[in-house]
Amino acid sequence: MPEVQVKPGRHREASLYHALAGAGAGNGRTLEQLREAALKTYETSELPVWRRSGFWTTNLQSLDLDALQTGGAGDSIEVAPGVVPEVVTRTLPDRPRAGRIVQSAGSVVHVELDQELAERGVILCSLEQAFVEHRELAERWYSKRLPIDRHKLEAANAAFWTGGAFLYVPKGLVVEDPFEIVYAIEGPGVAQYARTLAIGGESSEFKLHEYDLAEDFEGQALHAGAFELYLQDGARCRLAQVQDWSPADRSPAHPEVYDVSTRFVGVGRDAYCHWLPALLGGHLVRQHLELAVSEPGGDMAFRGLFFTEEREHLDVFAVDLHETGPSGGDVHWRGAATGESRASFEGLIQIDPGAQQTHTYLQIHSMMLSPKARVDAIPSVLVSADDVSASHGGTVGELDEAAIFYMQTRGLDRPAAVRVIVEGFFEPLIAELTDEPLEEIVREKIAGKLAAARDDIEAYATSR
Amino acid sequence: MADLEIRDLHVRIEEREILKGVDLDISRGEVHALMGPNGSGKSTLANTLLGHPSYEITEGTIVFKGEDITEAEPHERAKAGLFLAFQYPVSIPGVSVANFLRMAINAKRDGDPIQVKEFRTQLQHAIELLDVDKAFTSRHLNDGFSGGEKKRAEILQMAMLAPDVAILDETDSGLDIDALRTVAEGVQKLHEEQGLGALIITHYQRILHYIKPQFVHILMDGRIVLQGGVELVERLEREGYDQIRQEVGARA
Repeated sequence: MPEVQVKPGRHREASLYHALAGAGAGNGRTLEQLREAALKTYETSELPVWRRSGFWTTNLQSLDLDALQTGGAGDSIEVAPGVVPEVVTRTLPDRPRAGRIVQSAGSVVHVELDQELAERGVILCSLEQAFVEHRELAERWYSKRLPIDRHKLEAANAAFWTGGAFLYVPKGLVVEDPFEIVYAIEGPGVAQYARTLAIGGESSEFKLHEYDLAEDFEGQALHAGAFELYLQDGARCRLAQVQDWSPADRSPAHPEVYDVSTRFVGVGRDAYCHWLPALLGGHLVRQHLELAVSEPGGDMAFRGLFFTEEREHLDVFAVDLHETGPSGGDVHWRGAATGESRASFEGLIQIDPGAQQTHTYLQIHSMMLSPKARVDAIPSVLVSADDVSASHGGTVGELDEAAIFYMQTRGLDRPAAVRVIVEGFFEPLIAELTDEPLEEIVREKIAGKLAAARDDIEAYATSR
Repeated sequence: MADLEIRDLHVRIEEREILKGVDLDISRGEVHALMGPNGSGKSTLANTLLGHPSYEITEGTIVFKGEDITEAEPHERAKAGLFLAFQYPVSIPGVSVANFLRMAINAKRDGDPIQVKEFRTQLQHAIELLDVDKAFTSRHLNDGFSGGEKKRAEILQMAMLAPDVAILDETDSGLDIDALRTVAEGVQKLHEEQGLGALIITHYQRILHYIKPQFVHILMDGRIVLQGGVELVERLEREGYDQIRQEVGARA
């Protein structure tokens, strides 16, 4: 449990930033018991506020939670089963894949799984269905490391989730093409409680791509997500997430999506995870991302990129947690901000007692593309073992006018030159996706956002 | 009428006048050398010709191929056929030399992108001309390049973009003799093969042992004080800038 700072008077409780650490809520309880416990928390808690000493606050006071509906069974928001949202077909690449599951609002509308993989024991289905058909398996892992009661929206997710995604890759299986999990919001008034549980069996190898997408619409919606991935001994996973709740082609409507999500990846003995979330848009986004090496020999590469625009607010808390040693870690994030957007990135390296011979490094690079945009990057290190190495570094930059002039003398106009710089800034991470269709999506989205911010970037240049 | 006509050019940077009335004509097929001591305004002229935003033109005009480009944006000048090889090329991380070249060529072609095959052929030709390794073109532009590699990359871009007039700003500085020879021979070949017009800006004489200019101009304190043929280079080598300065000063 995080420490909670209680202040007298009109201040609400504000959560600080802590690693999840320790066991999750699951702990032998049934799904029904967990839902019941979460409901109690939901009913007795207020919308959360996160505060970093003095200068940073994320609060949800502008969110009208009571006006939203979950869109699950029995709700009035209708989602036709079998109909894949347009934003999904428009955005996702047409490429070979191992399987795909699509949820719109609170309902899973599409599930597909390669027949051969199904025969070899892969499970890809809604989490609801997993609790029916593979109850023992689902219950063993569900909420194993995720809490359900730190704040109202986390509790809401645990109490109310419908649909959901469940992936199980059995021992020793190597899957070439990616599994795709898609959460889409097609209209306003939706509270989407997204719940993903994925397990990589011993020595399995696979790719998992999550997409979080919104259609153009006007009004509020909420995505409160809980994601957990457990990699058993020797498993290897390349996990990527493309999140964009504010499509660049929007006009004139503005989706106002709040995204409050917690994601946990547990890396087992000699297992490996390469994780890259691309957080590309959302009215207010708060992400707790935790990658934990839980067993000796585990290794990980924690990458991430973000791009904020207009008046977006992004709050990322990324944790590189080492519970045992020897273990390795490498955290590298890059972010850019335009408009009047604000982004705060805190990267925490936490090395628990006994996690000897852990070696990890954290770097965060950010770029401000407009005078009113702001990026705060806060690296922190919490080390409770003595035979370890942990360090951090980073840069904060603006557009390099010398580089822009250089490119202009080669015939590129200013917006094209800016695009080259920003794309070049992100490119080392994008290239690490080592998946061309996915790389293209991320590149295109960043290009689209830059094009939308063109006037803003131009104004910045002339103001200096 | 010359392709590039510079008339009475006055330029200031942060309230300080650097160029105090420069006149210069350069045409395709001509090689000019602009020499001068440090601080004489050589790099200011180079940057001003390409429209660097920090340099303010207070008087005078720049006309290129009949168009007044005094106020034009840098990329418009480039598209018209001017090129600047930088003294200190900037690194562009994340973009390979080849990709950057293709972008630059396509920017110039205005909506008619070059075919992959044609691009490859051109690139191959330029690579051979400048004696660079093919792997060079897949490295990020100027990122971690040695001084010599940066200058070769400048000339490679020049070869690919085929400008009418190129300004080479101290391209010889910081080069060892082998790199200098390669770069100079590259410029010479482009001059011979493509009819490139060049303004070679240099402090020293050594690059001019490899490229023979037809016209030599000596810039001091923001003005061109002496003009002549290649014999001026030899004189400078014998006498140095100080003696020329004294003579010009005495004359003025």
